[in-house]
Amino acid sequence: MSESELPLRLHLDALVKTYPGVRALDAVSLSVRPGEVHALIGENGAGKSTLLNILSGVIVPDSGHIQIDGRPLLVRTPLDARAAGIAMIHQELKHVPELSVAQNMYLGRPLTTAGGLLVDRRAQERRAAEVLADIDPSIDPATPIRTLTVAQRQMAEIGRAMLEEAKVIAMDEPTSSLTPSEFERLVVLIDAFAARGVSIIYVSHKMSEIYRTCSRATVLRDGRSVGVVSLADTAESALVPMMVGRELARVAHRSFVTDGVRLRVKGLSRGSHVIDASFSVRRGEVLGISGLVGAGRTELLRLVAGIDRPDGGTVSIDGESVRAHDPQAAIRRGLGLLPEERAREGIVAGRSVVSNIGLPSFARFSRFGLVARRRLSATAFRLMQQLGLRPLDVERPIGTLSGGNQQKAIIGRWLAASSQVLLFDEPTRGIDVGAKAEIYSVIERLACEGRAIVVVSSEMPELLRVSDRVLVMREGRIVADLSREQINEEQILAHAIPRDAHRAA
Amino acid sequence: MTRFSVRDAGTLLGLVLIIVVFASLTPAFLTVPNLTNVLQQSSINACIALGMTLVIISGGIDLSVGPTAALAAVVSATLMVNGVPVSVAILAALSIGIACGLFNGVLIACAGLQPFIVTLGALSLFRALALIFTGGSPVFGIPPEFRAITNGQWFGVPTPIVIVAALALVAWVVLNKTALGEYILAVGGNQEAARVAGVPVTRTKITTYVLSGLLASVAALILVGRLGAAEPTLGNLWELDAIAAAAIGGASLMGGKGSIVGTLLGAVILGVLRNGLTLMNVQAFYQLLATGIIIIVAMLIDRATRGR
Repeated sequence: MSESELPLRLHLDALVKTYPGVRALDAVSLSVRPGEVHALIGENGAGKSTLLNILSGVIVPDSGHIQIDGRPLLVRTPLDARAAGIAMIHQELKHVPELSVAQNMYLGRPLTTAGGLLVDRRAQERRAAEVLADIDPSIDPATPIRTLTVAQRQMAEIGRAMLEEAKVIAMDEPTSSLTPSEFERLVVLIDAFAARGVSIIYVSHKMSEIYRTCSRATVLRDGRSVGVVSLADTAESALVPMMVGRELARVAHRSFVTDGVRLRVKGLSRGSHVIDASFSVRRGEVLGISGLVGAGRTELLRLVAGIDRPDGGTVSIDGESVRAHDPQAAIRRGLGLLPEERAREGIVAGRSVVSNIGLPSFARFSRFGLVARRRLSATAFRLMQQLGLRPLDVERPIGTLSGGNQQKAIIGRWLAASSQVLLFDEPTRGIDVGAKAEIYSVIERLACEGRAIVVVSSEMPELLRVSDRVLVMREGRIVADLSREQINEEQILAHAIPRDAHRAA
Repeated sequence: MTRFSVRDAGTLLGLVLIIVVFASLTPAFLTVPNLTNVLQQSSINACIALGMTLVIISGGIDLSVGPTAALAAVVSATLMVNGVPVSVAILAALSIGIACGLFNGVLIACAGLQPFIVTLGALSLFRALALIFTGGSPVFGIPPEFRAITNGQWFGVPTPIVIVAALALVAWVVLNKTALGEYILAVGGNQEAARVAGVPVTRTKITTYVLSGLLASVAALILVGRLGAAEPTLGNLWELDAIAAAAIGGASLMGGKGSIVGTLLGAVILGVLRNGLTLMNVQAFYQLLATGIIIIVAMLIDRATRGR
């Protein structure tokens, strides 16, 4: 019997899910064969998360069916999904930090003894250890899960899937926090699963990984499935138009660097997170900062912006030193931080776009103690028009905007405050391909107007597109300062990977 | 929303409904003297609730408002009774309110302690101070000049109602029209994002507790004027009524959401409820039951209309 004659392991049929004002999934179907590694790709907002949430029982579709091995299934809750053999490995791993690895692996369905009254922790740890022996023997199932690295926690999640003898494992952006060697280990595991007949759904933005691990791909766009392709037969350049629906122009980098240092950082340190960091950024320059997750890039930006307290070092803007650990002082001197996690640190979701834009500027937009709302709204409107906010409604709660539009609003915040030094932390995280291009041209324009810009990024194409220079960080230190000619994946990784590749348990 | 919003309209509708119900059940309810009485009875809770609303919107809670009022009351009453000019005594009361607020605010905003725990401790602390200050006995003999201030009328409207209405207007302007108001909403909505965006978080939080303490001392003065005496035990459970009024009015205890208009309506709803049930000769226990039910119903309606 050829592979295509076997019953489908997983068949999602015509799933529909609507939220007020938006059709998140419009009759989307997905088919996965036993032992297949199937990619699910698409821009942010295309419907991938919604699909995964339906599959894992977090939300219920408005209509449509789920079938496992030919049998229809009603998946209303996460426990239903797990009972059906569907295991979900989220991008943001949701563990209970103080519980042990074994307890987390058995969360929701503990092993019991004494007639179901007591939890049998020892049996759980024993079973967990058996399973983990094949995956990552360095993990001790009895320790609290918070002591594990992100990669180890992911392995524990996979261990959980094995304990439940999952038939379908869905992985959402599994490598966003992994080093290349950890990724290799994951690939080995995925191949082992596939060989045993387990089906894997792999969701990722990283095309190289997808081509490495998956055989077929379903492409989503705007809530619809636009095609299922065989990756062996389809080039990456053909996939992107499917995801985006239009050809993206290749834009070249332009440099606007002129003389005059605007931001100078000397000897900035904080514990083991940031060690003796020094760099400077000139007028019109875009400085990229790359490095692995955990290298200290975000921590460095937070120190420069005054959010965390440094152990030592100085920051000066346009020659004037900035008081440490005082975000307002840094902002007054002209600095603006655009944080990586917009929802957690960037926006006040319930407030309007205008209110969010005005946060650092209310004092300046006030007269006799009252905020000049009309002037502020007009300014916000003008800025959002220039930045291409769609729809152009600045009174809407900012939480209802897409990621790209929220980022534009945060940029607008610093433009309204006349900030001259902008620190972007992963500026296009969670933003779709079309909006990414817009953000890049905005960054270019901001540099052209004479500002100094720092961009922390993990994406090579992004760094290449915007940066004049790239710093590489490793374990808290700045270890390389690369010119444009030197910016490529090999060079950066060579500097970014820790010398001592042996992982401590 | 902080302007007159759909939520406020809903609260108003609730109030109208309750009034209609009582008007049909008791003829004595819908008279000018009785309605004025209701507003007057509600004014003290409304005053406290204004401050409580600001604190709740900023993401905190103030359980110490009752004892703050008691402390302000006994100190200023003692001063008045001993010949100190009324204006000085009033200033003393307000200063104590501010000091109590500073105490809470600094511990919460600077030391980073949990608001619930800090104000719970302050509750006992301030209560103890008030009791120690008077040795446990009430202060009698409030001078008539002072009582004339709080028991008078402005164009036929009892002074306390005018005072609280004016304070509510100020609170509304602060919340909706000033930078401080934007800061309070931002800090309550997402404190970390507010901080990154340059909002003076510490200063904002301290200010809300100071305002809460200040309004508690104003409420204390109104009560002392009305009763002609100041008891160190006054203000018992005031915080619960204030939180109830704010919650009925749309304030979320998670922070970031609330309405001055809604809080006022909430305080009046509670006042109307008590007044109506009293006119119907319903026992006090059942009044407590009704209050509890109204609060829960308001929350359920909130949840139902917010949607998933």
